[in-house]
Amino acid sequence: MTKTVEKKFLPDVPKKEMDELRNTVKAASLKIIADNIERMKKADPHRPEAMKYFDDIANLFGQRQQEIQAEKEKGKKVIGYMCLFAPTELITAADAIPVRVNSGWYDTSKLGDRVVPVEVCPVIRSTIGAKMIELSPFLEQSDALISVLTCDGMTKLSEILGDTKAVWGMNIPRVKDSTQSLRFWNDEIKHMKTQIEQFTGNKINRKNLKEAIEISHRATKAFRRLQELRKGNPVIMGRDAMLVNQAYSWDDKKRWTEKTEALCAELEKRVERKDWVVSPDTPRVMVTGTPMFWPDNWKLPTLVEEGNPQGVIVADEQCSGERILNDPIGVDEWSMDDMLNAMSERYLMASTCPCFTSKDGNEDRINWLLNKVKEWKVQGVVYYVVRGCMLYAMEYTRVKKALDKINVPVYYLDTEYTREDVGQMKTRVEAFLEMLNARIDI
Amino acid sequence: MDLGTQRVQVVALKDGAVVGRAQGFSGFDPTKAAEQAVNEALTQANLKLSDVNHFAATGSAMDMAPYVNSTVSMMGADAKAGVFLAPKARTIIDVGAEEARAVKTDERGIMVDFVVNERCAAGAGAFIEAMARALEVKLEDMGSLALKAERASPINASCVIFGESDVVSLIHRQESKPEIARAVFDAMADRVSAMMHRLGINPEVVLVGGVAKDPGFVASLNRKLGLTVVIPKYPEYVGALGAALIAATRVKEAPK
Repeated sequence: MTKTVEKKFLPDVPKKEMDELRNTVKAASLKIIADNIERMKKADPHRPEAMKYFDDIANLFGQRQQEIQAEKEKGKKVIGYMCLFAPTELITAADAIPVRVNSGWYDTSKLGDRVVPVEVCPVIRSTIGAKMIELSPFLEQSDALISVLTCDGMTKLSEILGDTKAVWGMNIPRVKDSTQSLRFWNDEIKHMKTQIEQFTGNKINRKNLKEAIEISHRATKAFRRLQELRKGNPVIMGRDAMLVNQAYSWDDKKRWTEKTEALCAELEKRVERKDWVVSPDTPRVMVTGTPMFWPDNWKLPTLVEEGNPQGVIVADEQCSGERILNDPIGVDEWSMDDMLNAMSERYLMASTCPCFTSKDGNEDRINWLLNKVKEWKVQGVVYYVVRGCMLYAMEYTRVKKALDKINVPVYYLDTEYTREDVGQMKTRVEAFLEMLNARIDI
Repeated sequence: MDLGTQRVQVVALKDGAVVGRAQGFSGFDPTKAAEQAVNEALTQANLKLSDVNHFAATGSAMDMAPYVNSTVSMMGADAKAGVFLAPKARTIIDVGAEEARAVKTDERGIMVDFVVNERCAAGAGAFIEAMARALEVKLEDMGSLALKAERASPINASCVIFGESDVVSLIHRQESKPEIARAVFDAMADRVSAMMHRLGINPEVVLVGGVAKDPGFVASLNRKLGLTVVIPKYPEYVGALGAALIAATRVKEAPK
């Protein structure tokens, strides 16, 4: 049923070149995944047993790809998405599989340069490149994509990906605190419900939507339990927690919840035994800014946790991390209208994405950050931005002012989808950690 | 030891005073270059390797430094030495060949914040070098040339490569060499001061690093910041001095 549509953006890469490139990048990626995991194991010689599951699921070309393929063969649809605003409960309710498809591969960003200029955010360029050589298992398996138009990059990315499959744009209002915004977004959610129903041929009803929301609720509970454990003396390395959090975006939701609960149970026992993963006086770092998509974007957390002096990441404020599941959908009565209203509120109002503004600017993000710093006893914040990521870059000044006020140091770290700047990053990250240590010693 | 990509500097400290100072090119074997510089500094001080209580290294190649007991970041070293040399210093600017950075420090020489220029040589020494080539002037003459300029003619200096074509267009407009030289330093000072404004400028401001020896850059930076930066006697040794001072405190903390 492949229709020949004229491509508006993407070049036709000859099959042979495409295969060669895909094989090379895939081989390199498998090595990077293995290397990341190896280093995470080394950082914690008594790594929790439960992490083994997440190490396996971290292989993007492994078990999960095969599972989704098997489901597809049985007739299930896969609906991919880029931004977190995609209402995944609607997908689950319609008996389809939701999966996030942003690219974390450095190598494919160079391919994206054939389509858009290098000034464009590398997350976008890399996702384009991954599509060009059909690298990403989850992007390839997606029968349709939900693209929420959050930033300029995402808006045009959805047009570019539209060359190869159905892309459903969702128009997110940018003034968050106005009633018409919420009304408008509510209509978008309802429209998406119809869209998904038509595409999958499955009706979304009270029963299956309630079930889907309850799956999310249980996941949120497990998720929050894990972050809660990071409030005290360090009992898990930041990288391990970050991998668990991010794996939710491609894993089976019920199984992810079980495995995360198991991890938490193991960690809670360690807390009882006061079995800390690093010394309690290790500087406690929070990361905020551009999302860090697995597997290549692991250089900052690796530098922090393998640094000399060493730091430990206790929290993040990123859409590749804690923003994924932090907020439950607040349903009162389980009528269809109430569930859809609760979903639109949760997806719009709870988000701290810098695409928003309001009467007080993006006050919600500042409040989240300040609250995190306080409750997770954060001693320093790394503000991580990839070049071309305008919204995060521009919001830095305000964040810095807010953190200055409570005397918490923040370092602006800009980087690219490249491995070549690791040396320079190391210098800066270690200087920052040294500074945090000096403050702690006083 | 301050082991950089281009040069290595060594300072020997005895009872809180500098007794030896040596430098060399890092070259292909920075470890060996550092060993030689250490020997030279110790010879000056009439000391032997075994007399040294603690070796501390800093610089981008510090992981390759020999004899090392501990390391310290370049920013931490700048803060420590800056306050040692000028007790009222609260901001240290370090402009080297390939990088410019600014460090905010407290009165004890402990850094409280820092910024580094964004991986671009337009705010660093390499820019002067490239521009000197375009002007067919010796690098060491650029400064005195710029001081002769009667007025400013702005260029953009967004990067070394485009800066070069900016300079060529000034040449075509028949601007004089002194004016163009000054334009080069003004553009660099613009970059450095923009970086400093992001950090906040707390006086006194101390300028260190190899470029601090260039009177053309110093004049432009002073004009741009509206203050007079303090320049220590051996600005290129400040990183090594900072490491030595930190080595001294570490000896006190944990005697051998």
